[in-house]
Amino acid sequence: MGKTLDRELKKGSAELLILALLEEKARHGYEIGKLIDERSEGVVRFHVASLYPLLYRLERRGWVKGEWEPAGGRRRRFYRLTASGRKTLASQRARWREFSGAMNRIVEVRCA
Amino acid sequence: MPDWEKIVREKLGSLPLNGGRHEEVIDELAQQLEFAYEEAIANGVSESEAMRQSLAQFTDWEKLRGEVFRSVEGTQLPIWEQNGVFAPRRLPVWIALALTLALLAVPAFRQVLAMTPVPGSNPTAWSSRAFSERVLRSIEQSGDKGKYARTLAFVALHSPDDLQAMHAAEKAVALDPQLTWISAHVSHATYLVPGYDPHPWIERLKSWDPQNAFPYLLEASANIHSDWETRWGRYNAATADLRRALAAEPAWRLPMEKAFAAPRMDLYTANQFALDRQVLQERGFDRPDVLMVATASQQLPDLGAVLIYQDIQLKDVGNSAERTGQTQEALAAYWTVARFGERLQSDSWDIMQLFSVKLREDAYKRMIPLLRREGRTGEAAAVEASLSVLPAVDPTKDWRHKTALEASAGRSARIAGLAAFFLLVLGTATAVWLISAIALRWRPNLSRGLNRVASVLCFAPSLLFFAGFTLLVAYYPYAQPIGQFASQEELTRAYEPFFANLRNLMDFGIATDVWLARMFWPSIWCAAVALAGAALLHWVARRERSGRTGEA
Repeated sequence: MGKTLDRELKKGSAELLILALLEEKARHGYEIGKLIDERSEGVVRFHVASLYPLLYRLERRGWVKGEWEPAGGRRRRFYRLTASGRKTLASQRARWREFSGAMNRIVEVRCA
Repeated sequence: MPDWEKIVREKLGSLPLNGGRHEEVIDELAQQLEFAYEEAIANGVSESEAMRQSLAQFTDWEKLRGEVFRSVEGTQLPIWEQNGVFAPRRLPVWIALALTLALLAVPAFRQVLAMTPVPGSNPTAWSSRAFSERVLRSIEQSGDKGKYARTLAFVALHSPDDLQAMHAAEKAVALDPQLTWISAHVSHATYLVPGYDPHPWIERLKSWDPQNAFPYLLEASANIHSDWETRWGRYNAATADLRRALAAEPAWRLPMEKAFAAPRMDLYTANQFALDRQVLQERGFDRPDVLMVATASQQLPDLGAVLIYQDIQLKDVGNSAERTGQTQEALAAYWTVARFGERLQSDSWDIMQLFSVKLREDAYKRMIPLLRREGRTGEAAAVEASLSVLPAVDPTKDWRHKTALEASAGRSARIAGLAAFFLLVLGTATAVWLISAIALRWRPNLSRGLNRVASVLCFAPSLLFFAGFTLLVAYYPYAQPIGQFASQEELTRAYEPFFANLRNLMDFGIATDVWLARMFWPSIWCAAVALAGAALLHWVARRERSGRTGEA
């Protein structure tokens, strides 16, 4: 079951997803979209039309840095986290854990 | 393999990004399409299907263009680079503006625009333009110059300046004695001119139209006005004291007797209507609403005095005569009232119609039992028949017809009022959009704020046309040249329900009188100063922030 992330994009959760994926290593836009799709097993899917503007916004804020690098015989634009992006990721991740933990506690109690 | 860069370049169009970012964005998006295409081919789909799937990733290229620019530059795409339907580069917005301007060529649209008061203007704007002192002075001057009696009479009827009205009336009557009827207006006893005496005007009117009851009613009021001004407070109108005191006052009673005995009752409604209609047409005010306002200046008799004299005849003269067995005298008093009521019927004013019915009804109800007691059953039956055919004073009797007309006019007026409001708001928005768009055309990097304003307001010109068109459609059934109204009655029947509803709609009481009239522009100025202050603070804060970042 696929879902688009337009609303989440606006709410900022999408930023967290991208920053988290870039924490491991530098990635290009196509890879980021595919990874979100694969790791969420199709539950979460990006509109590509929203992904690139979001990457450019993160770059403008200084949280990621895009650079053209050769890969597989071509030139590709890879994005990697900056120091500022790492701080933001840590802060957003902590908020997310707090929020999802609270949600889980409520949902688990109701299910029990 | 498709040339993805070429495809992206064509679909994305120009993107005024700094430092070669445009080419980078094209390159990156082309790679995204290429990856998707190759993956689809690898999954075994045909080339055409792979291409379709790849391109389906971007459905709205114009939106993508705007979002990419906003993400990279942190601001809206320059207004003259936008390609949306409402962008200034596109034709629709200019067509909408041209159509809105074309609406001004429709006389009905100009008419409804002229009658819609603008916030901040005089709340009596309906009459202020046609009847302002400046306009009336100009009309008087042109009347003097051309020796045109009817324009001078118009000034006499509508000037708020009593002295100007009297002078104009003198000149008009001197030029054309057929206009002597305007003396009824000028003879108003409450004129605030020092030493003013209305009697010469009334005498002139009496000698010109001796069979008419109206001059005598004016005379009765004028005779007691100054003497009785301090005495009115002593009497309660509901008691018989006032009635008796007035009955004992020959200066009032004698002209009232003559008025009730006169063979005609003409308030000169038709004369004034014809004159107002003609002069307004000649002066370029071909508007039913202005004619409607003009008719309101008509001089009416003191209807309170009419009711008092009716009571004198019915309760004092008639009743006393009945008690003393003087049937003929009683009937004569009742007939005096009934016949005066019949004569009032000829006037088209609603209030006169109501008085006509009331006077006759009260008189007939006294006559019927008296005639029966006297055994004059035939006469009693005739009076009863007259009573039964009297139109109902109760407006609910013709309720269905009246409410259907008024409901329709009310709906039209509400739509027109709402459309006029939106027209004003969108007109302002369109003006701001136009100024911003022109300024940004001249200097594209003038201001990000201005670009944002122009981008947000880009819908205004198109909506302005729809608001104008709605206003025209709502008003169109009521838009007529005033020459088409043959009488005041016709004007009242065809136009008054819409006019009254529109006027009520725009009357918010104190909000209209004080706020819209006096506080609108000060509020706008305060808002402008507050906005300028906020923009300055924002600019200072940004400068400080960037200064701190630089230091860090």
